[in-house]
Amino acid sequence: MMRSVIHQLLGLRLSGGCGVTLTQVRDKGHLSRPRLRNPQWFLRKEVTRYDDHLTTENKQFVNELGGVNFGVPAIKKDVQENLIKTKDAATNEVTWTPGLRRCGLIARKIGQYPLWLKNGERIRTTLLQIADNHVIKYIPPEEYLPAQPPKVHNLKKRGCILVGSESTNPALLTKEYTGIFRDSGVGPKKNLARFIVSPEAELVPGTPLNVNHFGVGDFVDVRGKTVDHGFQGVVKRHGFKGMPASHGVTKTHRRAGNIGGGGEKGRVWPGTKMPGHMGNRWRIIKGLRVWRINTKYNVMWVQGSSVPGPTGGLVYIYDTILPLRKNKEAPPFPTFFGELQQTSDDVWYEKVHDFKNGSITYENE
Amino acid sequence: MNLSTRVMLNRLAPQCAYKRIVTFSTKTAEHAVENQEESKKGVAPAPTPSSPAPVTRKPIIPANYRFVYPEFLPDPKVEWRNPIREKLERLDMLERRKQIDLPEFYVGSVLAVTSSDPHAAGKTSRFVGICINRDRCGLRARFVLRNVIDHQGMEVVYELYDPTIQKVEVLRLEKRLDDSLFYLRDALPEYSTFDENMEAEPLEEGASVPVNDIKVVLRPRPWLERWERQNLRGVANIDEYLKDKHRLSAAKVQKPWEKYDMMKDYRSSIPEEEQTEIFAEVHTDLHTLELQRKRNKRKRTFVKPKQLA
Repeated sequence: MMRSVIHQLLGLRLSGGCGVTLTQVRDKGHLSRPRLRNPQWFLRKEVTRYDDHLTTENKQFVNELGGVNFGVPAIKKDVQENLIKTKDAATNEVTWTPGLRRCGLIARKIGQYPLWLKNGERIRTTLLQIADNHVIKYIPPEEYLPAQPPKVHNLKKRGCILVGSESTNPALLTKEYTGIFRDSGVGPKKNLARFIVSPEAELVPGTPLNVNHFGVGDFVDVRGKTVDHGFQGVVKRHGFKGMPASHGVTKTHRRAGNIGGGGEKGRVWPGTKMPGHMGNRWRIIKGLRVWRINTKYNVMWVQGSSVPGPTGGLVYIYDTILPLRKNKEAPPFPTFFGELQQTSDDVWYEKVHDFKNGSITYENE
Repeated sequence: MNLSTRVMLNRLAPQCAYKRIVTFSTKTAEHAVENQEESKKGVAPAPTPSSPAPVTRKPIIPANYRFVYPEFLPDPKVEWRNPIREKLERLDMLERRKQIDLPEFYVGSVLAVTSSDPHAAGKTSRFVGICINRDRCGLRARFVLRNVIDHQGMEVVYELYDPTIQKVEVLRLEKRLDDSLFYLRDALPEYSTFDENMEAEPLEEGASVPVNDIKVVLRPRPWLERWERQNLRGVANIDEYLKDKHRLSAAKVQKPWEKYDMMKDYRSSIPEEEQTEIFAEVHTDLHTLELQRKRNKRKRTFVKPKQLA
């Protein structure tokens, strides 16, 4: 805050034609400290809950109105029942080529459990539920000039798709926030995310996105905010060994020990591992295979148990950017439209053992 | 805490002991037996004749299901729970159970597990042993079998829902006095020696699972764990090897108040209402599987007489 004020003052002075002055920023804290509150230009989302002088019946009526028209969050229910009827998504026939960037999805991490491969190997998987995703807005490349540009290659030629997840009661939201959804034909959503896409991958506002956007065997990148551990010592934060518990050791059981040399290098080198805040950072984990998909509950089983964030945390799913794991065959482009032709809710990757099949046996050579 | 509250707590605690359930417990063996007797009578609360007849009949869930199928109850840690994940997990477990007969067994039962093994001759291996521990929930549920083969103690950890398991046979269905029998590692080898070609000892139909109150004889120290601190009921001679210092330190770490700690109990167990909800969901499938098993058993017991002449 202080710093921004100083910068503004500087700007004024420069425009006034005065001499250049410099203010030194000596600490590095502004680089690594996790942001505790949103920037000022963020829209306020939730309305302050005043005790309005409403009768209980009126309150009930307002809540009902919100619930009936806009639906309860699908995450609490079993199935996505409350899809809001929107205008039909115009399917502009665009063929997929390897360079194109598709939209992503917003999901919740709902837990993890093991699956087995057909060769008997046990794999750990994380379950991600795609809850009630809809396209809210598409911004073409000409108009997309974000205040905080994301680090995306060729950003000038990319558009932006705004996706929302989990419908909610608009009575709880501010007027400004609900204004985002005005032209989309979709009820207000709890969570929003922007996805930088190629203009060919444009989606009409109101298009529902579901788990079939990805297929089994595809690789995805998952972005989420890691578990917040708070201020932690060096043993937990960086996995240092610490020092012995006994044998005359005093007061240095979980301390780092030496942090620098003497003589010519007589200082603490930048990047030295020290105690500090751990977690609560955005992290992307790349190249996770989708092992299995459940279309009824909109759940996908993704490789590994290191998806960032706690159980129940929000994550964003993208097509992977790893060059060797990128899609080689065409995925549903720009997204999956229409009805599925399948008998069972589950789609299994060919290498995964379906529990409906019998036990795994090995053949004699 | 004044006297009156303490009296109240003392009065409440035994009631709670019946209501709250620790998922993996044979220590409350007396309760379990009682529950099974109840289950035979048909436990679901019978509607009183005066009340109006309910529109939908609730399925009758045996009260011993929480002991027979403990892995259907999720991990009670609140941060890890999610209704949809639990449901999907249960569906997968049922699918697996439709493929393979996973019988009722407890810590202390003797099992034989046949599993696929790429390195074994004939590509299958069979291991007979006593179940010394059961833990974890859902698809992760696992158990440990122990046996002594050629004077060498062997333990194998099996995952209950691992699809490489081909067959699970219960050779002797019984319980022991303790929740886990890791102390067999420090006991004389004859207590964990079981014949590989042991034949199944079937129980009578409808009989309750017997509790084997055998007391195990421990080897002298050194031991793998400090058994004197664990209040074991199935050990005969632990006092022989204890000095006063062991007794004192064991008394120091005792937590006799924990059995009155309702919050601890609450945090480490699934509430009864949720249990009934969960078992109501899987009951029909499990019941059909049980009936199928019974039918198969009858088929197996009938042996067609051979024509000798």
